[in-house]
Amino acid sequence: MRKIDYTKEPLLKVEDLKQHFKMNRNYTVKAVDGVSFSIWPGETYGLVGESGSGKSTVGRSVIRLYDPTDGKIIFDGDDISGKMSRKTVEDLRVKMQMIFQDPMASLNPRKNVGDIIGEGLDIHKSYKSRDERTAKIKAILKKVGLAEEHISRYPHQFSGGQRQRVGIARALIMNPKLVIADECISALDVSIQAQVVNLMKDIQEETGTAYLFIAHDLSMVKYISDRIGVLHLGHLVEMGSKDEIFDNPVHPYTRSLLSAIPTPNPIAEKTRTAIPYDYASSGIDYRKGTYHLIDGTHYVKCTDEELKRFTEDKQ
Amino acid sequence: MENKKILEINNLDITFTTTAGEVHAIRGIDIDLEKGETVAIVGESGSGKSVTMRAVMGILAKNARVNSGTVKFHYTHEDGSDAEVDILTKDKKWIRQHINGKRIAMVFQDPMTSLDPTMPIGKQIMEGMIKHFKISKAEAWERALKLLNEVGITNAEKRIRHYPHQLSGGMRQRVVIAIALSCNPDLLICDEPTTALDVNIQAKIIELIKRVQKERGISVIYITHDLGVVAKVADYVDVMYAGKIVEKGNVNEIFYEPAHPYTWGLLSAMPDLDTDDDRLYTIPGSPPNLLYEPEGDAFAPRNSYALKIDRLKEPPMFEISKTHSAATWLLDPRAPKFEIPVEIRNRIERMKSVAKLEGSDE
Repeated sequence: MRKIDYTKEPLLKVEDLKQHFKMNRNYTVKAVDGVSFSIWPGETYGLVGESGSGKSTVGRSVIRLYDPTDGKIIFDGDDISGKMSRKTVEDLRVKMQMIFQDPMASLNPRKNVGDIIGEGLDIHKSYKSRDERTAKIKAILKKVGLAEEHISRYPHQFSGGQRQRVGIARALIMNPKLVIADECISALDVSIQAQVVNLMKDIQEETGTAYLFIAHDLSMVKYISDRIGVLHLGHLVEMGSKDEIFDNPVHPYTRSLLSAIPTPNPIAEKTRTAIPYDYASSGIDYRKGTYHLIDGTHYVKCTDEELKRFTEDKQ
Repeated sequence: MENKKILEINNLDITFTTTAGEVHAIRGIDIDLEKGETVAIVGESGSGKSVTMRAVMGILAKNARVNSGTVKFHYTHEDGSDAEVDILTKDKKWIRQHINGKRIAMVFQDPMTSLDPTMPIGKQIMEGMIKHFKISKAEAWERALKLLNEVGITNAEKRIRHYPHQLSGGMRQRVVIAIALSCNPDLLICDEPTTALDVNIQAKIIELIKRVQKERGISVIYITHDLGVVAKVADYVDVMYAGKIVEKGNVNEIFYEPAHPYTWGLLSAMPDLDTDDDRLYTIPGSPPNLLYEPEGDAFAPRNSYALKIDRLKEPPMFEISKTHSAATWLLDPRAPKFEIPVEIRNRIERMKSVAKLEGSDE
């Protein structure tokens, strides 16, 4: 079983990250508005929220596909939030990798699998001979459950689940310390989802890489994550270990989200009703909230009065 | 509830002619539906669930060929007399005039592609009513307003003039449901109605469909791969694999006494919130390509419980109870003894205990 040492320095530390998009002179979209969290080596951090909550934006800012508006991102000892030195960029591109949602859209249809997976190796010149390159690619193909002869095939020759395996192989070949998985299973069939999740768990066990797992499917997030952050409208409203979040949700948004998950259990399901939540009419102002400790590592973003109301509502 | 059959699909068999060859997509399907009931059809993509429903609506693609089978639909004329038609024998024009929208309506997966972006939603709701009921525009407008209220859209007077892009995803799906309900259909087919939506909106849409169904007493067919949704809405479940129904039964039988290995796989591939196993039980491999006619049981290559006969001969449906049957040789009296996987057993035990707990609250 995997053990995570929480006394060590975190691998990734995000502090008060803000990502704003200026649409025009009068209108700015605040997609992420002050989000802080840390990921320790070998850990899986689940980021959940509805569409438009900013969860993908967090992932993309962390890997620096966007320039963060404000805040600090410290990855493996380096500050990667502002302008980075050449060495830091190179480091970042090796140590942090991403798996995307739609494997068909994220794989170049005109390259074969060997070249797709080997591209990172080519760029960073991390092999001495052609043979070494091929051997490395073949080894990674095997690791993700594909066959060696798949190396010369093209993405369209694969099924959806196999394509996602190629995406995972591409991310893993650089031996990253952190993999950002942005909705990487939501485009797959249920039985294939389980295969991919099992694979990701096996790889983590073997290589000790950390995952930032972004998804809206809460039961899958609970299954794979060690700790979870709940994102709504660009604010991290609640965070904690998965048991703290699922056994004792405090924030009304989290409770509404959890109550909405359909469970495959007909008798229980027919009596269950979802708790409604509407930010506009709830009277909660996310911008005023600060983090309040509930217990252990469990924090809720709210004001003092709101916390009192949340705990009263629960009873 | 009166036990009146509304839809009977018998031995439906459909082939598609493609450039790569003949694809035998539907290989003999039987589905019965009674008035007021809900049937869920579950299966992976490519298992043929949508094609079956397109056959019911008479909107199959041009390259589809129906080899055999009947789709009998029972309905009542305006004057109260009963009628029964085999939809497959009717031409498209007749179906459009008498069935589509009027008696069988469909809700599709993605509301943005099923709504017309160039037309206000009110006009889209009125279209069908004006055509089928031959009523005036003013009356159709009134009815459209009522429908919008019924599907839970607030401020309907203003919303009725809006275009689809001005609405949120959940709202759009409500409009699609309003359009489907506009002509008082007897049967509503929902093709993955909530897949494109967030969980909290998903719950609202499902509750809406359930409420409307109860109020109007209509039958609903759900096509989905989300077993959580199935558990909430369905009376009966048909599990499809590679163009065949491999297990059918009422919802409790499918969830608490699944008999087919494929159903086991589907159930355990979706973790519930109490799953604490280290690994999910998965079905290895991927669904077969129906370009090549499978020999024996189509599921055999992915089935760790496959017997020798599975590779030679297709299993018939074995009856387990009056409502429950499954197509697997494991149920044959000559089959060797087998144990269902421990993950499934634990899962079912857990579901039963949760269900009992909830049940005792009432």
